[in-house]
Amino acid sequence: MKDHPKRGKEKGRLSRRDFLKAGAAGLGVAAMGGLLPDMLLAAKAPAFKKGTSLSILQGSYFIAPGQDLYKKQAQEWGEANGVAMSADFLNWPDLQAKIAASVQAGGHDIVELWPGLNYLYQNNLVDVHDMAEEFGKRGGGFEKYVLVSGKVKGRWLGMPHGYSNGSMAYRINWFKEAGCPNAEDGNKVDLTWDEYFAIGKKCKAKGHPFGQALGHSTGDPPGYCYPYMWAHGAMEVEKDGKTIAFNKPQFVEGMRKFIEGWKDAYDETGTSWDDSNNNRAYLSEQISSTFNGSSIYFAAKRDKPEIAKDTHHILIPKGPAGRFYWLETRTFAILKNSKNIPAAKEFLKWWFQDKQFGDWWRLQEGYMLQPVVKYYNDPTWLKDPKMLPFREQPKYGLNLGYAGLNNEKAALASSKYIVVDTFAKAVQGGDAKQAIEWGAEQLKRIYDR
Amino acid sequence: MTVNPRIKSFSMRDFFDKERNLGIILMLPGAILLIAFMAYPFFLGIWLSLTDSMIGRIGQFIGLRNFVDLLTDTIFHQTAKNTLIYALVTVPFKAMLGLGLALVLNRHMRFSSPIRAAVMMPWIVPTALSSLGWFMIFDPVFSPISWFFKHLGLISKNINFLGDPVLAISSVCWANIWRGVPFFGITILAGLQAVPQELHEAAAIDGASVWHRFRHVTIPSIKGVVLIASLLSIIWTFADFQLIYILTKGGPANQTHIFGTYTYQIGLQATEIGMGAAISLYMFPILAVFATLLLIYLRKEQ
Repeated sequence: MKDHPKRGKEKGRLSRRDFLKAGAAGLGVAAMGGLLPDMLLAAKAPAFKKGTSLSILQGSYFIAPGQDLYKKQAQEWGEANGVAMSADFLNWPDLQAKIAASVQAGGHDIVELWPGLNYLYQNNLVDVHDMAEEFGKRGGGFEKYVLVSGKVKGRWLGMPHGYSNGSMAYRINWFKEAGCPNAEDGNKVDLTWDEYFAIGKKCKAKGHPFGQALGHSTGDPPGYCYPYMWAHGAMEVEKDGKTIAFNKPQFVEGMRKFIEGWKDAYDETGTSWDDSNNNRAYLSEQISSTFNGSSIYFAAKRDKPEIAKDTHHILIPKGPAGRFYWLETRTFAILKNSKNIPAAKEFLKWWFQDKQFGDWWRLQEGYMLQPVVKYYNDPTWLKDPKMLPFREQPKYGLNLGYAGLNNEKAALASSKYIVVDTFAKAVQGGDAKQAIEWGAEQLKRIYDR
Repeated sequence: MTVNPRIKSFSMRDFFDKERNLGIILMLPGAILLIAFMAYPFFLGIWLSLTDSMIGRIGQFIGLRNFVDLLTDTIFHQTAKNTLIYALVTVPFKAMLGLGLALVLNRHMRFSSPIRAAVMMPWIVPTALSSLGWFMIFDPVFSPISWFFKHLGLISKNINFLGDPVLAISSVCWANIWRGVPFFGITILAGLQAVPQELHEAAAIDGASVWHRFRHVTIPSIKGVVLIASLLSIIWTFADFQLIYILTKGGPANQTHIFGTYTYQIGLQATEIGMGAAISLYMFPILAVFATLLLIYLRKEQ
């Protein structure tokens, strides 16, 4: 990805000159094809100081073509504008430490922030409010989950590009055998947690348990545990951001069912799984259902078509208090300590144009949830009915720290895996009440400070 | 050139001839390195631990509040307990296995040099790499160990190496022992080779059995080496990070957190760098005790 600055510069000049030459020669717009708007933008772009470079830090993609396209797009813009672009893609759990280092000591201009980090680093991020508002307006408005999580104190400190999807993938035939009605079409299946565990019990009895990560990992464990907690009437904290609302009788009851369900329905080694164990276990036919992004389905389509054919998705089950997802937007933010803020802004502005963003979003075929409502009706969603359940996810999204904000306290609670560890403790110790009391005590320590 | 080279070289020599000047010059690079990479971060760490600093935000001085807070933090208690188990309980195993290894290696056999080099592997290979190997061996679903026992019909479900409270800490300790044995082995081997052959021969002539010779000749001669190796091993293991981070990240439910990983989680992931510094500084007095013991012992030897 690292490009030699000089080459980029030369190419940038060339492409602009080419464009002018082409224009002078009176070549028809048709001949320019879809490139014209990009080139116009490039031609209008301000010339950046010689030797300008942009370094971008992102989480690695589970859908590899998306990462390749992003690199290509960045390269394209860099060459057109004489900016040397480089991009680093990091494992999710390692991303935050690297961002912290960049905030503290520099090194990256644009960083991909996971939910909550925009709040944590609010003093270190460049305000991109107008650019983001324009993106939202162009897209017919932001989805609600983006609105509640993308802004800090009413201002956009990063450009929201959505969040990767996550729901229940399952094996159609094994679910059918277990008596799940309409199993062949996940869009018609609407389960409660009790019903889901009951199916799991039958599947496990036949040697196909469910699989779920409960280890210290940043994606699937919280993606499963927080919604389960919310669905059982508990949350970390009330709206006042102070009163702990974790130890609720309904949640204790729900946790009892979870302990039971874990024994009956799940592969019990899940206590040490990370974000990738369930992918591997599902793709090697060890488990019949798991909470995950559509990356499992993508990998199956590519490598194991017979598994893909037998796979569908359902919405996360609902509990007595309703159905919820942990869903917040990620943002591309510019660090204040960047020496290339104008170039970084121009790049983001360019990348969030319909062409670039749309290409990137569509290529991932629904893996990234739409940040703006326009894409809800995008034909991409209709290409594969098995992806349709994900489209509904944004309706049920809540943030970490709900009903409070995803602020530094919520971030501390999630970094310490308090909610996830409550579940792990419950299944290890077998005592729902004790585990929840431990979690409540830990949350109190955080929110009382 | 207008400067007379003879005058210049004379003055330079004069300068370096003074022992005091030369001493300072020779010490300077080392001192600069120590100050920049040891002293400065250490004192910065102490300062941070006394503040409520977050990454990207300089905090206020809050005295010892971070340290006091940690005293009532059950995760911290668990972390301290895990670290003690991880660093101390593993030492006798490392020492015993290392001694066995050294005794075997000390025998004259063919290819002894390549074999000695090979047994150093766990110690030489970067921990990050060997930990990945253990990560695969302990895999909850695809562990070769589980596979083996399952195919022998001894177990019916996979062993939960890193997910069960007792197994998790045992598994990381086991990987730690595996990594540490060669160090003990080679250190003790060096000690063994320093034992004069005459002592053994004299004891044998006096009618001492193999066990007696081992007990009364070998053991006393390598006692010092074992002690030094143990202290070094404790100090290194106390400050470990990589092995745990790769295997469990402190999970499940903090059952394998040690000071290093908990510091990372709080200081860098939760961005509470002040609190993170306080966690790691709790290691300091403990390590200081072991380091002092080590120094006292080395002094005495001299």
